[in-house]
Amino acid sequence: MNAISVSGVTKSFRGDMSLKKREVLRGVTFEARSGEALGFLGSNGAGKTTSIKIILGLIRADGGTVELFGRPAGCRDAASRTGYLPEMPYFYPHLTLAEFLEFCGRLSGVPARDLARRIDRVLETVDLAPHRGLRLKGFSKGMLQRAGLAQAILHDPDLLVLDEPFSGLDPVGRRLVRDVLVDLKARGKTIFFSSHILPDMEALCDRVAIIRDGVIAKTLGLDELVRLGEGRIEITARGVRPGTLAGLDECVSSAAPRGEETFVVVREQRFVRSVIERLYERGADVISVAGVRRSLEDIFMQEIARPAWPARAETPGGERSSEPAAFVGF
Amino acid sequence: MRRVAAVAINTFRESVRERILVVAAAFGAVLMGGSVFLSPLAVGARQKIVMDVGLAAISIVGVLAAVFLGGTLVHKEVDRKAIYLVLTRPVSRSAYLAGKLAGVVLAVSLIVAVMAVVLAAALVLGNVAPRPAVFAAVYLSLLEAAVIASIVVFFSTFTTPMLASFFALCCFAAGSLSNDLRVFAEKFGGAGTRIAADAFYYLLPNLRVFNLRHEAVHDLPFRAVDVALATGYAAVYVAAVLCVACLVFRRREFA
Repeated sequence: MNAISVSGVTKSFRGDMSLKKREVLRGVTFEARSGEALGFLGSNGAGKTTSIKIILGLIRADGGTVELFGRPAGCRDAASRTGYLPEMPYFYPHLTLAEFLEFCGRLSGVPARDLARRIDRVLETVDLAPHRGLRLKGFSKGMLQRAGLAQAILHDPDLLVLDEPFSGLDPVGRRLVRDVLVDLKARGKTIFFSSHILPDMEALCDRVAIIRDGVIAKTLGLDELVRLGEGRIEITARGVRPGTLAGLDECVSSAAPRGEETFVVVREQRFVRSVIERLYERGADVISVAGVRRSLEDIFMQEIARPAWPARAETPGGERSSEPAAFVGF
Repeated sequence: MRRVAAVAINTFRESVRERILVVAAAFGAVLMGGSVFLSPLAVGARQKIVMDVGLAAISIVGVLAAVFLGGTLVHKEVDRKAIYLVLTRPVSRSAYLAGKLAGVVLAVSLIVAVMAVVLAAALVLGNVAPRPAVFAAVYLSLLEAAVIASIVVFFSTFTTPMLASFFALCCFAAGSLSNDLRVFAEKFGGAGTRIAADAFYYLLPNLRVFNLRHEAVHDLPFRAVDVALATGYAAVYVAAVLCVACLVFRRREFA
């Protein structure tokens, strides 16, 4: 069963001073399978937060369906199995951390006899145990973010919806949150999160859904990410004379001499052997061979640079229904 | 019920830790203290002045505290998005509103209780034992504040704190006069005026039923059944307003 099923969701908002509605979501369709980590990627204003709010029942979709574990979004059953960390969370500053978690636990229906033990455990997990008696108004942004993660996992939910979970964290905090999420994933929890910190997303996600202009532009699996990540290969060689690489145009995209060395950029992995053999045949010395991996960031930047297309770019099965030809492949 | 209690306790904590409660209590104390110092001017009616001003201060401060707390608490949570943490859990919007209202009423009860203790102390110091009517009047003032709190919570589900507070204060003023307006319309108004006055009379809270101050000050007899009826009226009115507030709040989106 899918933890999240979003199908053809549309949503428009009317501006404060305008009668005209602005279409924010134009048929968003994707699913998060139980036990997977699905990254949600998109530029500002692409529709990420609106999608997340619809999934959580904070706003209603104009059209389409949203289900969590087969139940309508926003219903009590779905909510009790979901943990949520909002973007830029505001927590009650008048409460101490322990009081705040106690409040959240009670709202989530954590049995009173288990509450203290669970609070202790999550505070250890997010490394905030020494601060349990401090009021939240004295917390730094990073500490608040970790407190937010603590409240999201306090009731041991099956699904975690995290909006920018790495925002405001220092490198140590980022590592801590990443480790917590890796551990939760290993325990079979479903994690659905948006982030602008793409290396973290790349390290955590099984799949990535890229939203753009209110539609899911692309959903990439881990294997596809790896394949797309196999970018160009750079060979550094010495003693390359003019004409050495003649006839290898389909293998080599460029060869740039710099002093005694020449940097040869090979288009794909499969051409590396041919290029190296040619270099040795013609008396050149190969100094190094380095793969320049394309990051998720590169892929994302390429994706958002493409021209927009009409709504419903991707169907529930992942097939593109109205995709422009230029979009196929990277 | 556990979730309503959790929201109520959180609201109460927030209210208690806000300085406004201290300000409200100080305002009440100043009013009552002033009456103690000025009462010698009223020859032979010193304790009546203390009691009259004290009970009026309890009523006014209770209502103002209810208006301020009720008007800002819901809006603040929506504005700062703290409400996301509550409504994304298995908590219905009705339970959230009921908890908020209960928290506000708890906080107002604390202010009213503190002021009632101060008033009782002032009376005891003046060698007057507080009469049961005084405590009944304080209790009814609390019910009055609870009714006004429900109205301000209702308005706060769809408007700003400023407007919610303004509308609630208008309801307080109109509710205090609704009986007089109805009588006036019956004597001097046309058919339309009478219908309008009747509609207002039934729609607005009849706050006169919560006023036992005259009986308390002048040591007049009062009926316990009237206090019980006022309690029932407050419960029904608050429940009705809360139901309408829930209907409005259920449709609200948190974009």
